[in-house]
Amino acid sequence: MITVKNVTMKFNLGIEKDNTFKQIFIDIFTPKKKKKKKEYFSALTDVSFEVKKGEVLGLIGSNGAGKSTLLKVVSGVMKPTEGTVETRGAISPMIELGAGMDGELTARENIFLNGAVMGYSKDFLESKFDEIVEFSELKDFLDVPVKNFSSGMTAKLAFSVATIVDPEILIVDEILSVGDIKFQEKSKNKMLSMIKGGTTVLYVSHSLKSIEELCDRVIWLEHGKVVEIGNTKEVCKHYYDAQMSN
Amino acid sequence: MLKNIYLNFKKYTFLMGQMVSRDFKVKYKRSVLGIIWSLLYPLLQMIVMALIFSQMFRFKMEGVNYLVYLMTGLVMFNYFSEASSSAMGSVCANFNLMNKVYIPKYIFPLSKCLFVGINFLLTLIPLLLIILFSGDATTHCTINIYYLLLPISYICLFLFTVGLGFILSTISVFLRDIFYIYGIIMTMWQYFTPLFYDISMIDPKLQIIFKFNPLYLYIDFTRQIILYGHNPDLFTWLGCIISSVLVFGFGCILFKKKQDKFIYYA
Repeated sequence: MITVKNVTMKFNLGIEKDNTFKQIFIDIFTPKKKKKKKEYFSALTDVSFEVKKGEVLGLIGSNGAGKSTLLKVVSGVMKPTEGTVETRGAISPMIELGAGMDGELTARENIFLNGAVMGYSKDFLESKFDEIVEFSELKDFLDVPVKNFSSGMTAKLAFSVATIVDPEILIVDEILSVGDIKFQEKSKNKMLSMIKGGTTVLYVSHSLKSIEELCDRVIWLEHGKVVEIGNTKEVCKHYYDAQMSN
Repeated sequence: MLKNIYLNFKKYTFLMGQMVSRDFKVKYKRSVLGIIWSLLYPLLQMIVMALIFSQMFRFKMEGVNYLVYLMTGLVMFNYFSEASSSAMGSVCANFNLMNKVYIPKYIFPLSKCLFVGINFLLTLIPLLLIILFSGDATTHCTINIYYLLLPISYICLFLFTVGLGFILSTISVFLRDIFYIYGIIMTMWQYFTPLFYDISMIDPKLQIIFKFNPLYLYIDFTRQIILYGHNPDLFTWLGCIISSVLVFGFGCILFKKKQDKFIYYA
């Protein structure tokens, strides 16, 4: 279950400039009136919604609408400036795979390191180790440092570690299909089965087709504000029409 | 609340262990001697220092095994200097990771302090060898019952270092200049801590100030045990415990207060 209440997320755009000696020096000689107020950018404004247990909620909106920011807020990477996010259950964010992997380490070592970063326990990883290896199809390369892997192989490894759990809450940013054709199909099916598996899902995609296929409800986000929440078909249609009329 | 902290800590011990072991693997990758360097490096370093100070400069202290005097201090100071510096950079170095998944951020400085801490424990082995096999009849050190108190000073040193690591890594997020500033501070700190010389060699007025240097307190604590074989005096006892708890506490509070802002300064 995810409850997002009145979440506002502001970024200070001037953060890069504020801290330099030059800026401090300029500030001293600038009269107070002339000083620019800090520029804030609201990535999210007063967003509220709820994902019930077992529900698949879709998130749509054009580029820069705040979708990724919202996912980061829900997964706990960022704290909202205002408002609260409440989640019940362990979250599996499939936003960026392979977090914390170290190129110097072997695939075997990276499975444990990456798994630990994803919040898995030692026992869990040990019991699932063979399954991860088998899924990744990298059995022969287990003791090779990951920096020698091709990008496809690294992606396969990261994907296999990330999708080994039965998450209570799943956060997905686009259906990932990585690797070669065969693995793409396999990974896509794996993700689909995870989403359909009855867990609570927050799913971001630009593919309206897959949104309509998978989601129980949809949120349409634009310029950080919720435009519409509700029935998948209706919201998707309104969104599509709005996009195309511009 | 304490229970929550404990549960959270327990949940992430596995991750911390993985990060520490990663540091080890990366550090000794492709070196022929591997982990043996952890023993050999400090040992060789000690020999160099010993040659410079006892042979070249002919430093001497009456009735004291100078080599042991030097090494007890150096081992601890080296730990402090290495651990605090790498803890300082640990948060900035992991911005990438913090942006991807939620991990409690204290893990970064803490795992660095632990990693260097394991190395420190290994350096105690060559130190012990020096204690046992150096010095002449008058200055030879023997192991005594107060050695049981040594862990206290090491724990104080660890807490102090972790606390300072929290403070430094927080500052480093907002002010990258600290990396350079701290380098200079470290150099000063090293010379203002009686590592090579005895505190009685300085102006008595300055001695008071020198005695409030937490590092001196921790080092003096071990020296009183190893060199003189007696229970450290009350001032040292109190100084060690108070300074380490204070700095550790302050570091935790500061870090906790600021950690949510880290990500905007990436």
